[in-house]
Amino acid sequence: MNQQHGRAVTQRLTSHEAAELAAAHGLHEMGVRPPLGRYVKSVWGRRSFIWNLSASRAYARNQGSYLGQAWTVLKPVLDAATFVIIFGFIFHTSAPGIDNRAAFIVIGTFTYALFQSSVMGGIGSVPANLQLIRSHQFPRAVVPLSTALTETMLFGPVMVAMLAVAMLTGFLPGMAPVVPDWSWLLLPFAALLLAIFSSGLGLVFARLGARTPDIANVLPFLLSLGRYGSGVMFSIAGMVGTDSWFRPLLLHQPVAVFLELFRSVIGNEPLIPMTPNLWLEATAWAVGVFAVGFLFFWGAEETYGRD
Amino acid sequence: MTEDIDFEIDAEDLPQRAGERTLGSPSVIVDDLHITYRVFGGRRGGTTQTKTSLLNRAINLGRPDSGPITEVPAVRGVSFVAHHGETIGIVGTNGSGKSTLLRAVAGLLPPTKGRVFVSAEPALLGVNAALLPRLSGERNIMVGGLALGLNAKEVRERTQDVASFAELGDFLYLPMNAYSSGMASRLRFAISTITTPKILMIDEALATGDASFRKKSTARIEQIRDQAGTVFFVSHSLGSVRAMCTRVLWIDKGVLVADGDVDEVCDAYHEFVQGRKDASSGAKLR
Ligand SMILES: Nc1ncnc2c1ncn2[C@@H]1O[C@H](COP(=O)(O)OP(=O)(O)OP(=O)(O)O)[C@@H](O)[C@H]1O
Ligand SMILES: [Mg+2]
Repeated sequence: MNQQHGRAVTQRLTSHEAAELAAAHGLHEMGVRPPLGRYVKSVWGRRSFIWNLSASRAYARNQGSYLGQAWTVLKPVLDAATFVIIFGFIFHTSAPGIDNRAAFIVIGTFTYALFQSSVMGGIGSVPANLQLIRSHQFPRAVVPLSTALTETMLFGPVMVAMLAVAMLTGFLPGMAPVVPDWSWLLLPFAALLLAIFSSGLGLVFARLGARTPDIANVLPFLLSLGRYGSGVMFSIAGMVGTDSWFRPLLLHQPVAVFLELFRSVIGNEPLIPMTPNLWLEATAWAVGVFAVGFLFFWGAEETYGRD
Repeated sequence: MTEDIDFEIDAEDLPQRAGERTLGSPSVIVDDLHITYRVFGGRRGGTTQTKTSLLNRAINLGRPDSGPITEVPAVRGVSFVAHHGETIGIVGTNGSGKSTLLRAVAGLLPPTKGRVFVSAEPALLGVNAALLPRLSGERNIMVGGLALGLNAKEVRERTQDVASFAELGDFLYLPMNAYSSGMASRLRFAISTITTPKILMIDEALATGDASFRKKSTARIEQIRDQAGTVFFVSHSLGSVRAMCTRVLWIDKGVLVADGDVDEVCDAYHEFVQGRKDASSGAKLR
């Protein structure tokens, strides 16, 4: 071998020299977390990626079963039917002062279903996109955010179904009618707040689910605890004594606030009026939880995709 | 003299040698890199020596089938500097730590010790080809392009180029899990080179391509190098390594044993492989 082809045997550098050489040529260290400001900017820069990934996922999900996307609507309908039978008729004292218990339960169930799907999507989002994460460098928050967006895009049909089923409950024996109201126009805004809130929680669970698959086993329990602790099918205000210390806790925890907000928007219960306070509280929870979730997810940015 | 049967490639199909180029500035600096995997649940009573602290035993209470933690030192003190305009081959026996090294450079594994510096985000092409296996090739192009940092319009403009490079015909509209492994690797290679990557790492991803695609991908790699990119190329086919690379790293049991001229290192490696009596593989376990 008499020729020397592009030979580049470097002498072994000391760590100090290596760092200096890197600095001199503007190289950055791999496997370290980017600063928050740059991270936020790069996530924003990838918004069309988020959008596209979520559209692709919605499309892929359609292919798995015969009824496809219809299940997103059918599942809460079935859930609601179960709870209406049990809590609307059997334990019918579970919502004192409520004129239409069935509608109350339907709205609760559907709203909770929206919330639940975002959380469950978040938990599996990193493992489900491992191949993508391992091949390309991009801000990882794209993955859980696009999952949350997929769920959000389904809010529309789910809420239309919710309104329809709620109106139907007015024909059940002993239930007050539900009639369309101008306040229904506020529904998209309530849904937007709920989407922001659930994305924030989705980010939290995405980080937890990325390293600890065990959490997926615990999630159903957390979700059913959330369901009962937020008054999805019974009225917390009516069932928990005014003197108990955890009453404010239950009434002002975010999921309960969102259920209350949705019920007030439907506006069929005189006991659940729409107040500016309710909107403020929901906004605060949405923004706060999203910010915390984003920070929490960013905190482990460099670890996603590793094993 | 060393060219005996190479099952993977027709050496005549490839250009004799990668062209010589002047080297640019450093693009990847690896400084005393150590990667140690921690494996949970080796079987109890295995032959390897394992740590059994009280804590480990407590952790393992819930998993009666598994033993304590085994440490696998997959990369042990590798240092090198790669430059713009280089194609660096990485050779070594099975389990010598090649993939581990590349994944660490791509930022997918935390260094146990040492540091890695890069000039740009590396793209890693592995053997698992599909990005989103349930989606069509076309959608994979879109997602891959966006992941590389293009915007949707730019990707749409280039989709046709990518499709014609991969030569998939109507299969482009079928989900990627309906592709053969060679078809999938064609598409992945085409996607990863949508833009001229600054640092491209190919981990045996071209091994499943047929002769015509290899020719094409070799030309494309040459082109990337022309535009001052750095390519890392892991392959068990010494023919491809000789044809494509300007420098070779030889890794054995996680240690860099040679770094330099293609022919010198390839010959030495070839001799080593031929002379080996057993075919034991894997990292050196403590
Ligand atoms: N995820 C993992 N967990 C634990 N040990 C691993 C893991 N991946 C690889 N190893 C170990 O690290 C060592 C190096 O593996 P690596 O995949 O880097 O080898 P390689 O050089 O790419 O081999 P091949 O030529 O077969 O692809 C091996 O001993 C392997 O057992
Ligand atoms: Mg490998």
